[in-house]
Amino acid sequence: MSQTKQIEDSAEEDRVSGRRAGPSWDSLRKSPSYRNRRIKDKVIKILVIACPMLVLVPLLDMLYMFVYRGAQAMTIERLTTMTVGGAALGGGGLANAIVGTLLIIALSTLFAVPIGVFAGVYIAEFSGNNRFSQMIRFTADVLAGVPSIVLGYVGFLLLVLEFGWGYSALAAALTLTVLMFPYILRTTELSIRRVPDSIREGAIALGSTKTDMINRLTLRFAIPGILTGILLAISISVGETAPLIYTAGFGNYIPSALLHQQVGYLTGIVWSFSQIPSAEAHDLSYLSSFLLITIVIIINIVARVGLRKFTKI
Amino acid sequence: MIGILSGQQEQAEAEEETTAPEVSDLSFGQDNDGSFIQFSKVNVFYGDMHVLKDITLGINEQEITVIMGPSGCGKSTFIRTLNRMNDTIPNFRHTGKISIKGVDIYSSEVDPVLLKVRVGMVFQKPNPFPISIYDNVAFGPKIHRMVKKKNEMDEIVEEALRRAALWEEVKDRLRDNAMKLSGGQQQRLCIARALSVRPEILLLDEPASALDPGSTSKIEELMVDLKRNYTVILVTHNMQQAARVANKVAFLYGGALVEVGKSPRIFENPANELTERYISGRLV
Repeated sequence: MSQTKQIEDSAEEDRVSGRRAGPSWDSLRKSPSYRNRRIKDKVIKILVIACPMLVLVPLLDMLYMFVYRGAQAMTIERLTTMTVGGAALGGGGLANAIVGTLLIIALSTLFAVPIGVFAGVYIAEFSGNNRFSQMIRFTADVLAGVPSIVLGYVGFLLLVLEFGWGYSALAAALTLTVLMFPYILRTTELSIRRVPDSIREGAIALGSTKTDMINRLTLRFAIPGILTGILLAISISVGETAPLIYTAGFGNYIPSALLHQQVGYLTGIVWSFSQIPSAEAHDLSYLSSFLLITIVIIINIVARVGLRKFTKI
Repeated sequence: MIGILSGQQEQAEAEEETTAPEVSDLSFGQDNDGSFIQFSKVNVFYGDMHVLKDITLGINEQEITVIMGPSGCGKSTFIRTLNRMNDTIPNFRHTGKISIKGVDIYSSEVDPVLLKVRVGMVFQKPNPFPISIYDNVAFGPKIHRMVKKKNEMDEIVEEALRRAALWEEVKDRLRDNAMKLSGGQQQRLCIARALSVRPEILLLDEPASALDPGSTSKIEELMVDLKRNYTVILVTHNMQQAARVANKVAFLYGGALVEVGKSPRIFENPANELTERYISGRLV
């Protein structure tokens, strides 16, 4: 009763104030367009679920194959002995390739991280948007898009031949450094820029120097992002083959020097041994793939766990 | 009408006021040369933009001086000249002289970092660092190497938090991240952070404009308390707040100083028409 009264009252008010009355509340009843909307929602939902499945299924299949075949091929002996023979007959173990991959990655990370992080700090905190920083940014973006085999060829011409280093760990590491640099630079820049300016202002107003502000605040908060970039760069270069073929050659022994000695690496085994018609070579090829995948997964897990710790602060 | 008033006209009005004998508390000119802080014919430019126009103003020690005026009138620029926060803005340039206790703070011999230690600043939006409450307050003393031992730092942190009327609320959670505090607490933490390096002057750039009424009145009480030890310069466009806390009020309009006066007088009996219109809310 009282409700009806209220509605009448408001209708009365509407008339008085000249407000237009809305459509009848009866029109809230479900109409055919309601059903159409529901169907549309469902179709879209199925589509967005199907797409990731499309990616996930082959990925899991691949993982299964490499884990299964790789695990089957895994023996202590193969992990601890050197490769025998080259592209003609593949056999022996992977010790030289495991050490070689780790050595090249460690060296290139050692070079690329400081250069990339410092350059990123420069662009984010010091340069503003001057010509020089625009140039660095542009170069980095182009560099990130250059096919790695081209970088490998440049490394071959410059480091292996021109500098006379021969196929070597150092030539390979420097080539991969160039490959990693743009990723580290850009993620460093972006993560530092994400730190709000109000924090910079607060620090400067306290009489902080720029160095103190960067060391104690902006860089510190950017570390999770920077680490992600570094690990991404490492994951990418772990899987590189082409630039290494040009610069590391392939060595069946663990090198005792960084120059003039060819180095083995896992991707080289995957690439060459999969083409040799022998069960042993194929086993080594699968085992290498398995180890590479394992390394990438470990890097990702370390990244996630480490980042969670860092972001807590 | 007012919107198209040119800078020269405003300035003319300001100068006219300077010479008006009946307003006795005006701080222009020779009779205030000995002020704690003295602005003498200060102009500030950002590139071609003339932001502050020929400002001459004396500010007394251990008082609250309120800078008020509509948005974009140069209030923030004005207080930022005092700790040289404008230096980093591209194309910043100034003429005239700003001195604190007789020292020209833009002289080439003045270290802008040491200046910022003596002139603390709190911003409109609370900007605590996303680290612990303790580390926020300890940041300044740490970068300026003010302490040798850990318990000295504890004392500095406690003292600063007490002065900012925050100690009782946070003493049991100093290790918590500062972002967990409420907006009002964050702002008091920022005040504590500014106090930690033992400044003499405190610049507050609309410190309560982003806070709820309860937190605002706490900040206001704090400001009144702080002026016993510090010289406070407060930017606000909240008239009631200005009236509650100010000893002296300077009214800026279009970059020019229109009127300066002691607190109740300027609200009750503004000498300038622009001030009067601003105070009564008719100036936009």
